[in-house]
Amino acid sequence: MKFQSQKIAYNYFIVAAVLFGLQIVFGLITGAKYVWDYDPLLSILPFNTSRAIHINLLVVWLLFGFMGGTYYLVPEEADTELYSTKLANIQLVLFALIGVTAITGYLFGWTWGMPFLEQPTVLKFGIVLVALIFLFNIFMTMIKTKKWTVIQGVLLGGLVMLAGMFLFGVFFMKNLSDQYFWWWWVIHLWVEGAWELVAGSIMAFILLKLTGVDRQIVEKWLYVEVGLVLFTGIVGTGHHYYWIGTPGYWLWWGAIFSALEPLPILFMVIDTMRTVRERKIEIQNRPAMNWAVGCAIMHFFGAGVWGFAHTLPQINQWTHGTQITASHGHFAFFGAYAMLNLTMMYFAVPQIKGISSFEPGLARKSFWFMNFFMILIALALAVAGIVQVYFQRVLGMDYLTTQGFMKVWYAVFWVSAWGFAAGVTMFFIDFFRLGKVKA
Amino acid sequence: MTLSQGKAIFIWGTVISTVIFLFLTYDSLVRMPKRTHAENLSPQVASGKWVWQKHNCNDCHTILGIGGYYAPDVTKVMSYRDNDWMTRFLKDPQAVWPAARKMPNLHLKDQEIADVIAFFTWVNGIDTNNWPPKPVAAAAVTAAKPGEAIYMAQGCSACHTIGGVGGKIGPDLTTVGARRSKEWIEAQLKDPKSHFPNSIMPSFAKLPEKDLEELADYLSSLR
Repeated sequence: MKFQSQKIAYNYFIVAAVLFGLQIVFGLITGAKYVWDYDPLLSILPFNTSRAIHINLLVVWLLFGFMGGTYYLVPEEADTELYSTKLANIQLVLFALIGVTAITGYLFGWTWGMPFLEQPTVLKFGIVLVALIFLFNIFMTMIKTKKWTVIQGVLLGGLVMLAGMFLFGVFFMKNLSDQYFWWWWVIHLWVEGAWELVAGSIMAFILLKLTGVDRQIVEKWLYVEVGLVLFTGIVGTGHHYYWIGTPGYWLWWGAIFSALEPLPILFMVIDTMRTVRERKIEIQNRPAMNWAVGCAIMHFFGAGVWGFAHTLPQINQWTHGTQITASHGHFAFFGAYAMLNLTMMYFAVPQIKGISSFEPGLARKSFWFMNFFMILIALALAVAGIVQVYFQRVLGMDYLTTQGFMKVWYAVFWVSAWGFAAGVTMFFIDFFRLGKVKA
Repeated sequence: MTLSQGKAIFIWGTVISTVIFLFLTYDSLVRMPKRTHAENLSPQVASGKWVWQKHNCNDCHTILGIGGYYAPDVTKVMSYRDNDWMTRFLKDPQAVWPAARKMPNLHLKDQEIADVIAFFTWVNGIDTNNWPPKPVAAAAVTAAKPGEAIYMAQGCSACHTIGGVGGKIGPDLTTVGARRSKEWIEAQLKDPKSHFPNSIMPSFAKLPEKDLEELADYLSSLR
């Protein structure tokens, strides 16, 4: 850490970690509703509310992590103190308040009712304000020195795209097909566009610092990877336009481009491995390294392989709208983004706290717990989804009857989720005790 | 590869994909009004869409295959349920479908129920490129026995079991045809209390005579 203002990142990481923990709590509650059909919380926390909270917490904690990561990265790349730490703190408090208001609102039925974008419109404008404050602060820092590194250029591009795309999800449309057409501009072009840019540049930064390889090489591959991500991902949006009232040619465009989407992610795995192999300095922070390599691999399997498995329309017509999607969703979000943020936290927090080395035991345990049980979660939901596809879609069995046959797999899923929660608890303990326990 | 070649891949990859995507977007927006029979998008349909959103239905149910996976997809619901069934169900879901996994009573006003049904009716007409696909195995079976389609559409399986599939609230109907005559079954459908004064089964007297006949035919064929 070179600049005092980078410490602001820690505040963001604390909020991110707490929201991550809450996300898991609501995940366990939501999952239990599948295992036991009888729901004692039906009148106070029905499935739709607990799911809304579970997925909103996911997005918000990841955004807090990205923001923290950005505030840590940009001063070092721009080689100057942050433009305003005060503004960064105001932004944090404002965003947290909007988040708390949204979630409290859901509990009282105050919702806009589109998945992931359940926030009522007035809160969405608040989120836009937060994004503007953030972009302003970052941009003002970058132009202080005008050191335009590729890493910060890609990061800024990703953040501008992230904020810009959100606007397509703000307005009510009376045509449901139109509404979902634009909804995907937020959801898909975030996770397979803007977020990949943000995550790619943060990962490039971490690898650069951890391994000491040439910046030229890291930045060259960053360009290639995000270039291919956008090339495949933008038209790849078409894999969401197969069945929602959109023209039939999307079956071709969506299939071809989205089938290529795993390629850049595979490049990232190869690139990460090569960078680690060709490291120029001894890697001090082993946990950060584990998470970085694990992230590349799980990103590839969760987003790349699991996505590819049902992206072709011939398969997707059977799997669309089943637990197959839920399996992919859990695996991909964890591998691509949750792990990226955990990497960033393990990388930055020791430096912020001025710790040169720390006891890696708990970090290692939490890493293996989370990864092992996330794989089980993804597999259990996938099997539940396969049962659903065959019974409900192929044999034409009634929806609820099919659910009965899926129960055993919901149980496996839910027990695995407790294993995952144990991993998160270990991370929690490790995160908050960093600097308090001697190596 | 050099840094500037990497940069060229980044720029051209992004530009090419963006241009294709924007062109297809424009073309889609031109074609979608016809594919979604937008001329039938009445103010009532729009109100119904807001009822759907206001109660966050989409985080339990999927629509167009998108949303929560906790409850049935509603894209084509109006193809297998009629207005009357939907109205009764939305008024008191647990009375009409007393399964263990429950939909909460949203206490919708009559107008809201009519609006959301208008919305579902409109959604039912969207050209979804034939999604969801027709089941491979069941199509032949339902075609052979029209009464079975009525049995499914009226949600009888929420309470009754046939061949191990269905609910446990009402009696098992797997061999009902061996126990009861067709006339007895028809009378039971029209007025359940005529046989069992304490029955909680709703009356199906409102069904057209032909449907009742077919349903009774189907049930009495179960032996």
